[in-house]
Amino acid sequence: MSDMPRRPYRVAIVGGGIVGLFTAYRLLRAGAGPVVVLERGFLSSGASGRNGGGVRQQWDSRVTVRMMREAVQEWRHFGREFGTNVWFRQGGYLFLATTPAEVTRLRQVTEAVRAEGLDGRLLEPSGALRYAPSLSLDGIAGATFLNTDGTLYPFPGVWGVYEAVRALGGEVRLGVEVTGVRTEAGRVVGLSTSEGPVDAAAVVNAAGGWSGDVSRLAGLAVPNVASRHEILATEPLKPFLDPMVIRLADGLYFSQTMRGEVVGGLAVPHPTGTRAGVPTSPAFLRSMSRSLVRLIPALAPVGVLRAWSGYYDDTPDGFPVIGEDPRLPGFFHANGFSGHGFMLSPASSKRVAQSVLGEKTDLDPALFSPGRFLDPHRRGEAEGLQPG
Amino acid sequence: MEPDPPPPPPARPAGHGSPPLTRSTRYHRPRAPFCGVGYCTNCLVRVNGVPNVRSCQYDAAPGEVVEVENAWPSARFDVLAAFDVLFPQGIDTLRGFRRPAFAVPWYQRVVRRLAGTGRLPNPSTARAPSPGRLVTTDFVVVGGGCAGRAAAESLVAAGHRPVVLEREPRTSPVPGAEWFPGTTGVFLPPPRAEALRPFELIARRSDGSALDLRARRVVVAVGGYDASLWFAGSDRPGVLTAEGAERLRPVERPGFDHAVVFGGGPRTLQILERFGNHVEAVVAPGAIDPDVARRASELDVPLFPRTLLLGVVGRRSVRRVRLAPRGGGQPAFSVEADAVVLAHRRLPHPQLFFQAGARMEWRPDVGAYGPTVGPSGATTVPGLAAAGESAGAATPDRARASGVAAANAVLAGGGWPAPDPSPPSALHHELEGYYQELLSTGPGPGKVVVCPCEDVLLGEVLEATERGYRGIEVIKRYTGLGTGLCQGRYCLPDALLVLALREHRTPREVGYITQRPPVVPTALGALAGLPDDPEAAA
Repeated sequence: MSDMPRRPYRVAIVGGGIVGLFTAYRLLRAGAGPVVVLERGFLSSGASGRNGGGVRQQWDSRVTVRMMREAVQEWRHFGREFGTNVWFRQGGYLFLATTPAEVTRLRQVTEAVRAEGLDGRLLEPSGALRYAPSLSLDGIAGATFLNTDGTLYPFPGVWGVYEAVRALGGEVRLGVEVTGVRTEAGRVVGLSTSEGPVDAAAVVNAAGGWSGDVSRLAGLAVPNVASRHEILATEPLKPFLDPMVIRLADGLYFSQTMRGEVVGGLAVPHPTGTRAGVPTSPAFLRSMSRSLVRLIPALAPVGVLRAWSGYYDDTPDGFPVIGEDPRLPGFFHANGFSGHGFMLSPASSKRVAQSVLGEKTDLDPALFSPGRFLDPHRRGEAEGLQPG
Repeated sequence: MEPDPPPPPPARPAGHGSPPLTRSTRYHRPRAPFCGVGYCTNCLVRVNGVPNVRSCQYDAAPGEVVEVENAWPSARFDVLAAFDVLFPQGIDTLRGFRRPAFAVPWYQRVVRRLAGTGRLPNPSTARAPSPGRLVTTDFVVVGGGCAGRAAAESLVAAGHRPVVLEREPRTSPVPGAEWFPGTTGVFLPPPRAEALRPFELIARRSDGSALDLRARRVVVAVGGYDASLWFAGSDRPGVLTAEGAERLRPVERPGFDHAVVFGGGPRTLQILERFGNHVEAVVAPGAIDPDVARRASELDVPLFPRTLLLGVVGRRSVRRVRLAPRGGGQPAFSVEADAVVLAHRRLPHPQLFFQAGARMEWRPDVGAYGPTVGPSGATTVPGLAAAGESAGAATPDRARASGVAAANAVLAGGGWPAPDPSPPSALHHELEGYYQELLSTGPGPGKVVVCPCEDVLLGEVLEATERGYRGIEVIKRYTGLGTGLCQGRYCLPDALLVLALREHRTPREVGYITQRPPVVPTALGALAGLPDDPEAAA
């Protein structure tokens, strides 16, 4: 097919997940000019349709706490702005520690959270029961809780931003694969796609787990790694659990959705990636079930309804990559979200749009810039709080 | 002295066989058993503190505590059914409930409480994971029906001792086979070609444990099931699949007095043979087979070929069935009936083949996907063969023959016979034209609940397509259709046909229905009890 009109775009965005769509929305709202989003699959076919819906502000680094605090406000008002309900429910995030070292770790997180003006609380093990009465406290040494964290239903987020982009005149092309990045005189001039060339003054790589591939199409070496994570949903039950619960020791995370299902996974990548296309593995079902039943023994008779997998786009330091690549003018990164792209998207997309438009952002270049991995002497502080 | 003849059965009101047993999730609509084979959500009860037990699959012993779920004060009369009346067009949880802002948290609480079915299990049911077993073998046959038995017998005759998994708890084993009754294969990932035993199969057992099987070769002979149909009130008590009618029959007589049977083929003939005196009419989407017509005329059952089933009248039971001749021009009419038996379409179970990575193909004759198979039943996955309905064998004789062929296929060493690529064939199914007319006529009053597990309405599906959302995967995520406890068995096949119509594409273009494991819901406690991976330990 070659019916794609050959019109010059101001910005072409690779990836129609929540990051790409939100970026398009911000650019259109800022009057950036024609914007096109190119999605290889269908809407929500990638991680935007496969994540657990967690939204939290408890992080090691204060800059992430700040950006997430902003994202929480955006999610709270999403329905009014976009017309669809993500059902962002602020049931809190309950982190559980099993060792003194983990308790120390959680204390540091709570200090960062409180320093940003949020009501993070360090709890005795028994205090966790107040927020999740069905837990077994066996082996739990401490906990933190932040009541304004929460969970959302990801799909309506995708539909809402998609419709808003289209209403603002943005184009979203589904089923179009990017096959190359076109450059002239060392500068991006567009993309090659399965449906012909696209002319664009700027390209945003928001391809999630495939962003490393897209960067390599542009000849750019990047440290992004796609890691496969598995997740499952149980049969729907009446509400019994308000917060997202995370156990640091094994990366277990789970919450009960608005539909009643318990949805969760283990924040360790499952090393069966060589079997391409495998939705999930018996090993995950076994280890996830063991982990969940240990923490909530009453769930033992509850059935697993389905299990699936998706790709995180991991960076070595766990921080996202936002901004123009210093090696290729016109090529912008909005990737490397390391499993937290959906929750951050309302806030991160503002910075992406600002950098595309040449405006100043409030992002610390040492933490977010694409160039940070090019410095051989760099010592990044790892964003270690990975699960959920 | 002659014994007294048994007293005649007491007269029972219409619909006696299907009093509401539970209520649906969102609108609290009355529900009674539908499928009879443990897939649908219409007979869920709480047993001994465990939620969502399918009563059709559970024999409660005296003293066990069986409680109604999702209804107050009872399944027959439920206060929350007011939602069904107050929202005739449905509750729009996607776009409604956004204003005023101060009320949003309150909406959230209400909507959250409407979701879900059973309550969390009683803490007293908490127990250690049920210890599972690791079983290593050469051959596994999944399914112990006609085809599976024939395959197992062939394997035994060749000097092997196959493992046979049979879903039904009470069946007679094949001599010489290792027989696992009450066992369902739930997850068959793609084989690891390099391993001595490339296949790993997880199975769920009726005692609450799970099996981890390692095998060299696998025959899947899991049969099929009777499909649902979309019409107004298709979720009402008294609407049954053919299997539901067969299985849910009380001992001495069927659960209905005068049923409308939908379908004009072999399955309808079976229903007529079995329940002929309790059939009010035979209604078919297209032509009616001559042998069905012959039997119906012997039984004095009127025939309505090429007829739309618009809907049923009756809230807690079926009282009348509304029909309309196809082709337009003739008015709708209704017949008195206390049940609808859906016998028009039988679909193969595709899950294990899809999970294993076998190539799947659209089968226009049934309007569903099945594995691409060669003449012997070989799939595109070396070591995996299909038999019975999975391989397109519809009758018991053909199923047995396909079982023997599949056994020979997995016994044959050396090269795996690659199936020929399927020739291009008709892509449309008879029901597409049927649904075209149903949608243009309109099914009339009452909700068309296309996904009874999640109470998704036809209007929501049509609205999604009008907004430009395309493809089965997107519609599934947009509406929630097919994400409930039956895992899409009773809505996604028809959704594929209706979306093909709406999108002016072939069902194949609308997309494949992704089959996520497990095949049937499997308890966390059973999966937690699976033994450690022997290969990981080594």
